[in-house]
Amino acid sequence: MSPLSLLPSLPPRVTADGACLDAFQRELDYIFRTLRRLGTSASEVEDLAQELFLVLRRSWSQYDPGRPLRPYLFGIAFRIASVHRRKHGREVAFEMVEVIDSGTGPDDALQTKQARALLLAALEQIPLLRRAVLVMHDLDDVPVGDVASALGIPRFTVYSRLRKARRELHTAVRRLTKAEI
Amino acid sequence: MGTRSPLPPDVNALLDLERVIPPLPAAQRARAMARAQASLATPVATTTVPPGAAQRTRWPAMAAAAALVLSVAVAAAAYGIHARRASKPATRPAAPAPVNQVVPKAPAAPPPAVENLLPAPVPAVGSPTLSPAEAASAELRLLRLARVAVARGDFADALPPIAEHTRRFRYGRLAEEREALRVKALAGLGRTEEARRAAAAFQARFPRSVLLPAVGQMPASRP
Repeated sequence: MSPLSLLPSLPPRVTADGACLDAFQRELDYIFRTLRRLGTSASEVEDLAQELFLVLRRSWSQYDPGRPLRPYLFGIAFRIASVHRRKHGREVAFEMVEVIDSGTGPDDALQTKQARALLLAALEQIPLLRRAVLVMHDLDDVPVGDVASALGIPRFTVYSRLRKARRELHTAVRRLTKAEI
Repeated sequence: MGTRSPLPPDVNALLDLERVIPPLPAAQRARAMARAQASLATPVATTTVPPGAAQRTRWPAMAAAAALVLSVAVAAAAYGIHARRASKPATRPAAPAPVNQVVPKAPAAPPPAVENLLPAPVPAVGSPTLSPAEAASAELRLLRLARVAVARGDFADALPPIAEHTRRFRYGRLAEEREALRVKALAGLGRTEEARRAAAAFQARFPRSVLLPAVGQMPASRP
């Protein structure tokens, strides 16, 4: 079935606000997922995404369109998540921690969902400063130099945090799956 | 990536899986975009906060304060605008036919009665008994009914709450979302001509809406 076209054509958005809104729309999946990876609960992620949009809009004139957008968005998301965490304390429960119980589930989609939940739960055990580096580098494939500038830390610090965060991730995954291993 | 080697294969496999970003549900996406769009009504604050190293220490406090101020300002501005619009709708030049006229006169497919699902009727717009907070939550309640019905594919059930919202909050805070839902419901019911008219009216009334692409291109209706 082809989609039902109700309007002839759509005018492009050209203003700064329009460009900012377009960028937000284009990267909305990424923004939500990044906030979740940084420990935002499902019930709060919409509010924090809005906060991110407000910050993005305010600082839009300083974004260099020649640079990739995601590290820039990540920098904002990281700061918002940090502030939120400081204000509201550490989230205690992640929705699914006993994710690995049904080891023989035949459903691929279910297994994928469980694996994702497991990884989020494991990430949650890594302190935020190190988790941010690991998420940026190992999940978003951002080069070390760009991680350093997005988070405002020296390259050396990126490397050392990355090493430690990976060890912590490894340990956390083992702990969460120990029943199965 | 080569620097990933220190992790064992099973942990790397988890990372590989998570590297694919899952798409948001359409309803959540629409909600997020509608909120972002609504916040554009407020002029941008002059203090800019780049994510740079120099400002790391004081950034969080500033961001929190600015976000709070902005969100309050957005809410206030939104209500101000709607109040003004509601009080003098005639000043809008060459306004297109109001979208809400499209729906109610459809004798062909009378929607099933879901009045019992609706919140208790409250006197019309401008009633002094409704505080802004009460109005906001009443608006939300009504449109949630419509949104859920559309998401379920029960398009006929979406029309009564939409009509009720139109009656009570014609220029309400969520008018934009309401009109988008109306187009969706009509298209879903196969009432293509009405959907087209509603879409055109939507475009005229909200020319910069982020919902416009979705309103302009509906999934094909079920037979």
